[in-house]
Amino acid sequence: MLESWSALFNISEWVGEFTDPRKRLFWGYLLCAILISALWLRWHPTLPSLWHRDNWFSASARADFKLFFLNKILFFWLRPNLLTQSAIALAVYLFLMEHIGSAGQFAGSMPTFMQALLFTTVLFVVDDFSRFFIHWLMHRVPALWWFHRVHHSAEVLNPVTVLRTHPVEGVLFTLRSVLVQGGVVAVFLWLFGDGLSLQTVFGASIFVFIFHAAGSNLRHSPVPIWYPFWLEKWLLSPAQHQLHHSIAPQHYDKNMGVVLACWDRLFNSWHVSERKAIKFGVNDLCPNEHRLMHLLWFPFIRVGQMVRRKSREQISIKSEDMLNHEL
Amino acid sequence: MNFNKLVLCAAVAAISAQAMADNYLDFPVTVKGYDGDKENSVSYTGQSARHVLHNSLKAAVGQVQFGSEEANLELLNRYFSEEGPGRDVLNPTSKDGFSVTPAIVSDISSGKNLAGKAYQGAVAGWPGYLNGEQVLADMIARAAKTDGGFDPVTGHDYQQLISKFAMGAVFYNQAVDNYLDEMLAADVKPNSKPYKDGAAYTGKEHVWDEAFGYFGAPANVLELSAEDVYNIAKMKPEAADLADANGNGSVDLHGEMAYAHAYYAAGFDKGGKTDYLHTIAQAFYDGREVISKAKGKDLSKRERGKLEDYAEVIAENWELVIAEAAFKYAGETFEDLEKLNIILEADGDASETYRTYAKHWGELKGFAMALQTGGHDLGAVAFELNSLIGFSPVLPGDSQVVGIDADGEFVQRKTKTLAAYQADMVRVQALLAENFELTAKSQDVTADMSELLEQLNSGGSVEND
Repeated sequence: MLESWSALFNISEWVGEFTDPRKRLFWGYLLCAILISALWLRWHPTLPSLWHRDNWFSASARADFKLFFLNKILFFWLRPNLLTQSAIALAVYLFLMEHIGSAGQFAGSMPTFMQALLFTTVLFVVDDFSRFFIHWLMHRVPALWWFHRVHHSAEVLNPVTVLRTHPVEGVLFTLRSVLVQGGVVAVFLWLFGDGLSLQTVFGASIFVFIFHAAGSNLRHSPVPIWYPFWLEKWLLSPAQHQLHHSIAPQHYDKNMGVVLACWDRLFNSWHVSERKAIKFGVNDLCPNEHRLMHLLWFPFIRVGQMVRRKSREQISIKSEDMLNHEL
Repeated sequence: MNFNKLVLCAAVAAISAQAMADNYLDFPVTVKGYDGDKENSVSYTGQSARHVLHNSLKAAVGQVQFGSEEANLELLNRYFSEEGPGRDVLNPTSKDGFSVTPAIVSDISSGKNLAGKAYQGAVAGWPGYLNGEQVLADMIARAAKTDGGFDPVTGHDYQQLISKFAMGAVFYNQAVDNYLDEMLAADVKPNSKPYKDGAAYTGKEHVWDEAFGYFGAPANVLELSAEDVYNIAKMKPEAADLADANGNGSVDLHGEMAYAHAYYAAGFDKGGKTDYLHTIAQAFYDGREVISKAKGKDLSKRERGKLEDYAEVIAENWELVIAEAAFKYAGETFEDLEKLNIILEADGDASETYRTYAKHWGELKGFAMALQTGGHDLGAVAFELNSLIGFSPVLPGDSQVVGIDADGEFVQRKTKTLAAYQADMVRVQALLAENFELTAKSQDVTADMSELLEQLNSGGSVEND
């Protein structure tokens, strides 16, 4: 525990968010986003710009930064105490050996390069689906929505909004990542044995690199970069994600994927981008919506109210049943 | 490891970096009133003789022939329990470019055996509720019935089992559980008296030297690199001159040869991640210097305290060397099981792989049992280690030795599949890594897993989409 807290004072832990190519806010990816948006606005000068003051200094934007810092501090302590990737990987690896068969049965069955490509691709696809699915659950399960609503309450979008996350949601996202990465690594090591590697660029998975270098940070920005229709059916454009943040009822629960659009099409939540101004946020904004304490406690209050209402309903159903029974 | 020990370790490592050139054999005589002609006080020929007995016993196990049980037993006991003169050194013996002397065990030290110094505590890892000495005797009796020390029916490689366990049950146990433990007490073998009448060394000097002798390092170890010591144990011609510290043209089996755990420590250290050999050797040197500086007087409380700290550094690092070895062979066994499974699935000839599997298992088992002879109870770790490894390797057909019957014969039963046993090898490594501060981690079967996860680990971001 002492180690987790001492990491808090380690400058590289903080700077790492912007210097690690495995992270979305890596300076290189931010630079790519700036260049792409500048070029796009040259062709479409009437579109909103990333540099409007409100995107960075409004109450909504300030709330993004506060949650970023809070989560950073909280997860210094929380992360080492959560389930780790290595624990999951080891458990899955041992399970497969004990219940299916020896490790390394497919060792040498294909060239190392092919193994690495297959591993990197499967990991990317499974990771992308799991991100979609947990996001889908966040929108569909009422108790989870109140926590996810914190992210959707952002009235302006900037790249840091990607980290505007309630800590409860943060725990779920961390566990998702642990399960997916630990599980996929274990399965591949069990299949192919030693010598497995990830196809990387600057230390990041090649797919992660391409996604981020292609302007993933513009998903959370006011710059509506859209793709041709045929491409948006396969890859979600920044404009499609911005539509996901729209307060218009017809856009509710649409485009919940990250990279691939196929999951949304499979779950009937896909929506093509619209080339018009979008108002971001939620319709039931509270007056003090962007205050940190509100963002943290409001979901618990609403979930508590939900639970109480449910139990009252159940009691009244039971009473009615008893009354009918007596009559 | 508490702060004091950490400081001591750092000091030991720092001093070792200064490459102190002293040969361990050169500590002067300090016994009050000594009137003999010895110029130095170091004596551990008995330990060197036991190293030679151990090496020779291992070689002898490899020589046994099926159908000659009585003769085999006589040969093996010559190096295990007998003490008489005239026993030829079977290993190490001179070879091209690496000459060793002497050729007779008693020319190093007479009247020595291994049995008399073997661990007397119960050994849970071997069937029959036996103590360390009895386990070795039992293994020897079983080895005598085999050809070359290998029993294909149970998968026991007695050459490895006997050697690896004896190193723990005799050398490690005697050093850390006796000489560096009870024998350091103020009222035992005091420094103000000769060890025995007429001896050139005091009680404490000899106690310390005997522990050093059991470690198996050459006396000039601090002048040598880990690779040099490794090459000396392997008798590589290029290391002969380095080993021959007195320049008499031959490597003396006492004081110049490398044996047992010093060889394993050197093996890990030459990989560059650890410094077990020199940490242990330096602690021995420094401890010996504390005793020597007392100039034949009883050690003060402070001096004894320092000595105990050095003893703790030695014991901790020695234990790590054995744990690292067990870790390594669990990894080797895992690899063998993988190969064995693939060959068996393809209906191929698995005899060679099976033999390698048995050899590595024997090394794993021997080291795992040795780890439990250090005089402190490893408790649940030992229990789990013994349960995971079992009394024998799991054989094709999923059977394993589970105990002995009334006649002392092994009982075999179906226990688990080879794949499940392979999973147990991963658990053995995880258990060792969790309970010992291992650094070398040779043959780490989850190394690729850790590396990949590290590559993927972006700090568990709370990114929202």
